[in-house]
Amino acid sequence: MTASIEEQYLEAFSALAPQGDPAWLLARRRMARDIFAAAGFPHRRVEAWRYTDLRRALAKEGYVPAQRYDGPLAYDVETVGPGAAAFGDVERHMLVCVNGFFRPDLSSADLPDGVSIKPLSEAVKETGFEDFLTTDDNLHPVNALNSALMQDGLVIRVEAGKDAGKPLHMVHVTTSAGASAAHMRHVIALEEDAKLCLLETHLGQGGAGYLANHVTETHLGEGAALTHIKLQDEAKDALHVAANNLRLAANAKYYGFVLALGARLSRHETDAVFKGEGAHADMHGALALRGKQLGDISTYVDHAVPGCSSNAHVKSVLDEEATGVFQGRVLVAKDAQKTDGRQLSNALLLSRDAGMNAKPELEIYADDVQCAHGSTIGELDGTALFYLRSRGIDEATARSLLIRAFLDEVLETIPLDGVKQDIGSQIDVWFRASALAGSETR
Amino acid sequence: MAVRETVETVDEVGKYKYGFFTDIESEKAPKGLNEDTIRFISAKKDEPEWMLEWRLDAYRRWLTMQEPSWAKVNYPKIDFQDAYYYSAPKSDEDRPKSLDEVDPKLLETYEKLGIPLSEQKMLAGVAVDAVFDSVSVATTFKGKLKEAGVIFCPMSEAIRDYPDLVRKYLGSVVPVSDNFYATLNSAVFSDGSFVYIPKGVRCPMELSTYFRINEAQTGQFERTLIVADEGSYVSYLEGCTAPMRDENQVHAAVVELVALEGAEIKYSTVQNWYPGDENGKGGIYNFVTKRGDCRGADSKISWTQVETGSAVTWKYPSCILRGDNSVGEFYSIAISNNYQQVDSGTKMIHLGKNTSSRIISKGISAGKSSNTYRGLVSVHKKAEDARNFTQCDSLLVGDKCSAHTVPYIESKNPSAVLEHEATTSKISEDQLFYCMQRGLGEEEAVALLVNGFCRDVLQQLPMEFAVEAQKLVGISLEGSVG
Repeated sequence: MTASIEEQYLEAFSALAPQGDPAWLLARRRMARDIFAAAGFPHRRVEAWRYTDLRRALAKEGYVPAQRYDGPLAYDVETVGPGAAAFGDVERHMLVCVNGFFRPDLSSADLPDGVSIKPLSEAVKETGFEDFLTTDDNLHPVNALNSALMQDGLVIRVEAGKDAGKPLHMVHVTTSAGASAAHMRHVIALEEDAKLCLLETHLGQGGAGYLANHVTETHLGEGAALTHIKLQDEAKDALHVAANNLRLAANAKYYGFVLALGARLSRHETDAVFKGEGAHADMHGALALRGKQLGDISTYVDHAVPGCSSNAHVKSVLDEEATGVFQGRVLVAKDAQKTDGRQLSNALLLSRDAGMNAKPELEIYADDVQCAHGSTIGELDGTALFYLRSRGIDEATARSLLIRAFLDEVLETIPLDGVKQDIGSQIDVWFRASALAGSETR
Repeated sequence: MAVRETVETVDEVGKYKYGFFTDIESEKAPKGLNEDTIRFISAKKDEPEWMLEWRLDAYRRWLTMQEPSWAKVNYPKIDFQDAYYYSAPKSDEDRPKSLDEVDPKLLETYEKLGIPLSEQKMLAGVAVDAVFDSVSVATTFKGKLKEAGVIFCPMSEAIRDYPDLVRKYLGSVVPVSDNFYATLNSAVFSDGSFVYIPKGVRCPMELSTYFRINEAQTGQFERTLIVADEGSYVSYLEGCTAPMRDENQVHAAVVELVALEGAEIKYSTVQNWYPGDENGKGGIYNFVTKRGDCRGADSKISWTQVETGSAVTWKYPSCILRGDNSVGEFYSIAISNNYQQVDSGTKMIHLGKNTSSRIISKGISAGKSSNTYRGLVSVHKKAEDARNFTQCDSLLVGDKCSAHTVPYIESKNPSAVLEHEATTSKISEDQLFYCMQRGLGEEEAVALLVNGFCRDVLQQLPMEFAVEAQKLVGISLEGSVG
């Protein structure tokens, strides 16, 4: 009998004899391994994953730890290739990771004072680093797996009062074909009043069928501001599971945006906890999916202290047999008065076989709060389409106009113009491919 | 000062002092649940063999099931073996002989709710005497129904007299093994109503559990089945606004509605079981499975509920919109105070073309209570042009209570349009101030504002219910401000 997927992973654990890990990390890994062994991969009977059955989506066997690849890439991620062109016009620092390992040789980061970047393997040796790894493995088996097996990642720190200036652009490329798995752990720590803009791109370059598991620990000090924009364009057959654990001190500001285009199954989860008053988090996103893709954007916000606000707005465009998932929870703790929590999910179903599942939850233990959520699911407005057609616009263009207008509402919130345009053109590329596929079948 | 009086009364009523500890040991089945208990119940009720088999089958399935734990409610583990599953109705000798013997405080509350004297007697469990004969009321009532061809009788009677109808529809909406509590109910159900409306008949009056005779003591495991044949209409009222007392802590009712082509069923509930005292001690655990099946085209099922009682409520009246053009509605007010816990909502399952559903839920939590809306709207692949509108609003009174919203929205058809919106807020200081500077007391002002908040739902209630329900809304919240 073949070993279960979970067992194969645990084998990988014993195979990866950790070298030079400090004692606390070893203990942490062991604990996380036990949590994962007990829980296994989440499936639809696990409430937080009821619409995203990861266990079913995994290949039945053969997951091996992703191998470090030191050779040249098939094409330069900075300028060529699908997705890579994104942010090409934005002046930025490049940080490239291949198959789950940081590649300083491909990166070009001439960082200003007060901004530092280290690979995880080095950072873990610093005393006190464990304080940054605040993810609770008990709550999330995939995070536990990440804690047990994490090998590399980027640790980005911005000192108090410093502004990183040009955006940092993290590019994750997977080249290994077949069922390999990379577990990366990133730490983004902004001290008081520090500022950073982080761009993230995920690409498959020759890779297929792989699992990319990213956990990002984001710590924002008092008054710090982080803009975090992610473009997920993994290989068609890949699985992408990302968890972003966000801790915000008083008056910190977070702006997050994710555009999910790729992967057979993807999940972008944000777990935000407000630690100090007056903080604000935006967790927006868009899904543009087709084929048999499943895309999941989940946001969990813990309003643990008074006077914070959060806003999650997700727009989904689903074609062919694609399925979109939005899950949101706003938890307002007792005494967290003057909270403002908002969630909105809008979905457009473009085909008969597309589907959308939304679950916006509110859990409220304080009375002086403003919380609202909304969800709509529907198709393109027939009368709007007719209006455009009557003005001489062909159907494909009319549809693309309407879809762009639908998505623009959330794209407009992106605070950087260049980035906004690039995200928009990624959607146009996606739509053109869809229109072509559509005209073929017609 | 009228308000003050009410507050005091409610305080008293809240304590539920009228002990009804009549010793009726001999009328009870032995404690615990096993096949013998079920045979005992079935034998007591003179049931045919098929019914016993049905019950036993349910019991065997129940043994393999686990109590659900997903709802947002906390209560101590229930020992299902430490309970009685059958007790005979109180005989006339055990009951109070007249209203004079009934706790005056209770009567006072009845009066405040505006309940007529005859009904007060029934509610207080007064034995029916020859002078004021509610049976005669019931008899005229029955005659009228008979003329129309409507069957309205206790379930146990229906099993004997209309076995074909019962066998055809019982368990067809809520299957025997639907969930833990429904299965338990299938095994041990005590009694309930059976209603059949023949083709094309518009039921000449609102059917109400008030008027069904042999009603006493069927509360614990009630089983109701309503079948509306093609083109018929019925409005059914369950429960009453008056506080209800009951010795049994665990309630697990099942209600099944079947609407055939063009039929319409309107089901209204006011639930006001004992909620426990102000420290959260005691109170009824209410685990209810209610489901309606719009089996035919153009049918309609509408649920309206006002939930103010019970310590723990677990209840999701649902609609299966199978027939094309069928309509499902759910209007709900759930009020929780003190340590009450409510987890309630609905499911709208769109299967047929052009089906539409509407959900209006108003949750009000006060005191230290917890109030959850949990609902599912699911549009299946073939439900072309399905339409749903959902609005769930929560109102928080005080800062120790909590309100939760857990909606599941699933669409597999692009032509379906689903809208959901939810808000959570507290009573606006401005509105309160405005009311108070016009001379209203704080309690009155809160009652007025909450009634305004609930208006959309209250309007759906049948007239006589609506008036009482409005008062009930006010009474349920008293003691929660200031």
